Amino acid sequence: MRRPFPIRRIVIYCGLSIFYLFLLLPIAWLILSSFRNSDSVQSGRLLPAWSELTLQNYLATFQIGNFTTYVVNSCVIAFSVMLLTVFLGSLGAYSLSRFALRGKKIFMMAALLPQFFPYVLILIPFYVLMSNLNLVDTHVGLILTHTSLTLPFALWMLTGYFNAIPMELDQAALIDGCSRLGVLFRILYPVALPGLVVAGFFSFVVSWGDYLFVSILSQSNETQTLPIGLQTFMTSLRVQWGLITAGTVVAIVPTVIFFSIVQRRLVSGLTAGAVK
Amino acid sequence: MSAAPPSGKSSLALWQSLARKSFGYWLIFPTLAVILGLDLYPTIQGILTSFTNQSLIDPGHAVYIGLDNYSKLLKDPVFQVALVHSLELTFLAVVLQVLLGLIMAHLLIQNVPGIHFFRSVAMITWVLPIIASVVMFRFITLPNYGFINILLKDLGLGRLARNWFGDEKWAFPLVLIMHLWRNVPFYAIAFMAAMQAIPADLYEAARIDGAGDWRQFWSITLPNLRYIILVMVVLHVTFTFNNFDFVFLSTGGGPVNATDVLPTYIYKQAWNGYALGYASAGGVIMLVILVVLVLVCNKFIKGLSEQ
Repeated sequence: MRRPFPIRRIVIYCGLSIFYLFLLLPIAWLILSSFRNSDSVQSGRLLPAWSELTLQNYLATFQIGNFTTYVVNSCVIAFSVMLLTVFLGSLGAYSLSRFALRGKKIFMMAALLPQFFPYVLILIPFYVLMSNLNLVDTHVGLILTHTSLTLPFALWMLTGYFNAIPMELDQAALIDGCSRLGVLFRILYPVALPGLVVAGFFSFVVSWGDYLFVSILSQSNETQTLPIGLQTFMTSLRVQWGLITAGTVVAIVPTVIFFSIVQRRLVSGLTAGAVK
Repeated sequence: MSAAPPSGKSSLALWQSLARKSFGYWLIFPTLAVILGLDLYPTIQGILTSFTNQSLIDPGHAVYIGLDNYSKLLKDPVFQVALVHSLELTFLAVVLQVLLGLIMAHLLIQNVPGIHFFRSVAMITWVLPIIASVVMFRFITLPNYGFINILLKDLGLGRLARNWFGDEKWAFPLVLIMHLWRNVPFYAIAFMAAMQAIPADLYEAARIDGAGDWRQFWSITLPNLRYIILVMVVLHVTFTFNNFDFVFLSTGGGPVNATDVLPTYIYKQAWNGYALGYASAGGVIMLVILVVLVLVCNKFIKGLSEQ
């Protein structure tokens, strides 16, 4: 691609500035405010003085009632969903990609359809089903619930990834005496690693951010996650925005770290599922 | 497909081939069980519930009442408002996202210093939990010490300052803006990837023929992006139409139903109004609208890929 002329370059940077100001400003303002003391937040000034910066909000946030429990619950649930989705999804994708199944097309459609179902509709019988199984207000119930939301997409995406790996690789491994599960774990996993990571990241993000299902299926502090915690903060702490912002920063840090690891693969992974 | 060549030893080979055949089914069984049991079954159950008067207070005793829920819903003015809002929001969000996504993709594909930074951070808004985005937007629009109002006052425009989310005129646009904030970079990055796949010699040839930037965009870029545009549209029609979190967490549907959409209306009917059957009927109407929208888009995609 040819190098743009200087004037053109200025136009490009101006355009980029407008977009990125809009995208990054809310995040920057949140992070800045989380380090300001409450007088500074309420001072009506855009920028704080150096002396107004503090870690107090973070220390105080972790003191509030169940904040630590929310963090732990979010971590336990999101990581379990991630592992379960990648494990089950890769088994299913291995099957769809490498085995002659009757009704393969129906399986694929059945896996795709739920993506279009309104969650608010699913939630109603879901609640009845979960209470019949005694899984309301349990970690297992929430992990299963989130996995059912992430698995269809992961299955599609991983099938696409596995299909792109030449069959000769597995055949060579089978001839060398590798078992069929061994083919998946030793041959396909390493080659499809970027796909597995994106599927895992996607599942993590969905589970970590879910408010709707947790709000109904979790009824006590034992299982509630960060989104519920932050929502409670917003309504109960009203004016203590220093604490709310600090809590929110804590909730976005894991996704940001995880994102910085996978971001190069993210889009090809996400759209591969849609295109294939 | 990948079955190894059949060996000569008959009974052992037969057993092996049976095991080989069923092995594929065993692999997919857990995934299918989760999807069928936890997605398809509840949906079908939800459709059945929509014909009953099931209540959250006593879910065990529900009576079949035919289409009563549906006729009641269609007459409910709040439902009508929510339906219109949902369609407006979905339409406006998706159209604006495609337009802004194209502009942003066009900027991101330029070979200027530092562009890799812009590309790599772009999708950050998409991966953050929606509750965090809502906190950010609530916080930036606070009446007394939100960024927007402070800035307006500093610029001498203090009379424009207001309680943005509490303002009936501004709450709905803000919900729309939050959708754009989250999704436009996703469109931009997807479009950018598709633009990079267009062969450079197409542009070279167009330039030799004297085509300007606009002409190149209309005759080369856009036609090559048709497929990814439609994929993104189908995905986001679904996401936006089904999205509950943005509205519920930011405004709860208020002020005075100004931002109520179908998902929030249905949620409130089910969990605050205890009317599970009635709410399910609303969900089924959503499902029908979505199926129609997706089928229409799918038809477009099929038509395009056959060209």
